Amino acid sequence: MSDEIKTTVRTFVVENFLFGDDSQPLASDLSFIDNDLIDSTGILELVGFLEERFAITVADADIVPANLDTIDRIAGFIARKQAA
Amino acid sequence: MPSVRPFAAGDVDAVADMFQRLLRKSRLPASADLRAYLRALFLDFCKHDPDICSRVHVRDDGTVSGFLGVLPFDMRFGDRSVRAAACGTFVSDTRESDPFAGARLLRDVLSGPQDLSFTETSNDISTSMWRSMRATPLAPYSLEWLRVLKPSAFLLAAAAPRLPGLKLLAPLARGADRFVTRRGGQQAWIHYSPAAGRADALVDTEAENDEFAGLCLEFAGRFALRPDWDQTTLETMLGHAERKALHGERVQRVVRTRAGKPVGLYLYYGDRGGIGRTVQVMAAAGHEAIVLDRLLRSASERGLAAIRGRTQPNLLQAMIGSKFAFLQTSATLVHARDPELLQAAVNGQAFLNGLAGEGWTRLIGDRFG
Repeated sequence: MSDEIKTTVRTFVVENFLFGDDSQPLASDLSFIDNDLIDSTGILELVGFLEERFAITVADADIVPANLDTIDRIAGFIARKQAA
Repeated sequence: MPSVRPFAAGDVDAVADMFQRLLRKSRLPASADLRAYLRALFLDFCKHDPDICSRVHVRDDGTVSGFLGVLPFDMRFGDRSVRAAACGTFVSDTRESDPFAGARLLRDVLSGPQDLSFTETSNDISTSMWRSMRATPLAPYSLEWLRVLKPSAFLLAAAAPRLPGLKLLAPLARGADRFVTRRGGQQAWIHYSPAAGRADALVDTEAENDEFAGLCLEFAGRFALRPDWDQTTLETMLGHAERKALHGERVQRVVRTRAGKPVGLYLYYGDRGGIGRTVQVMAAAGHEAIVLDRLLRSASERGLAAIRGRTQPNLLQAMIGSKFAFLQTSATLVHARDPELLQAAVNGQAFLNGLAGEGWTRLIGDRFG
């Protein structure tokens, strides 16, 4: 399940923040912020996508790097939300 | 963990500092005047609806790193009361290093208790963010109109911020403009000459805030979705609008028939040789073109080089054919969960921008000593 989530999120990130360029592997622990992959608009788009795709509600307090800065963290965050 | 919370008196200094550095691009410390104004506008003025309030983003160490200014607005849609949030000043100290701050601020504000949220001063970055939150851009409200009155003076005024020395050419420009106007005859987009017409049958006179406010209430009544101001609130807002030192002297006038019946009003700022800034034009149905012409006459008689303002759909038709130019500098966007409210805005039936926004505040166009 976690791998499925990671694949789905990776596809979204590549399509929306890398403009479809998948020539370089996007590591699951690569920081979006440190690598300038995402800005404020991107975060809002990412949150909207996660809510819709995984049927979860993201609270304001959830929107922090600890939950959303890497593919690994996002997968863990979604798993926690779905288990709650 | 970083958090978003309502703006409080203890945040004023930090927000004033960010405003000064990031929006005014000044290295000088924020003045006591600016701090007092932020408090007056975003705390004192907003007391009537404390649930719809400005927000700050706070770092782990408790310091403020972002601010989104919100002004609560009572509106009316038909017989229905509508709570609205006019969002404006949006600043983040850590936009590059912490993109989460701006995202959280906007999301938090848009998920508030209001029925309608809007902004009239959205730059490209904010517009993308608002659109990510499924806000709708309103093109007919998002254009800046410009009417050139004196072409040579306009070129000087447009270039003056970068090349102040050009002001020395002002006498030459005045001569050139007199020549153009004499030869121009008919209306042209590069100059304005008052033409004999229906506008001659009207007069306009200076208006005090109480009279102006009363007429704003009257003229706003023609819009399906409109501010539900009370006279006192509107007079307070006009009190804020009395000073815009960076934009010039205030001109606040009512347009009437010779029998004395008010048919429109306008509020603009501008000095001789400069480019005037209009905050509001309102007109009774069918009188839009005449009221606009009275505005242009006033600006021309006062020696302005040009005058500009923000479009409203009900004025657009009258502007077409009157040699107005249009450009886009910032956007008006609206966010509403109720499709009927959204549709009213999209259809141009909403009264937005200017006095229904943040154009009336001193934050736009005033100097803080």
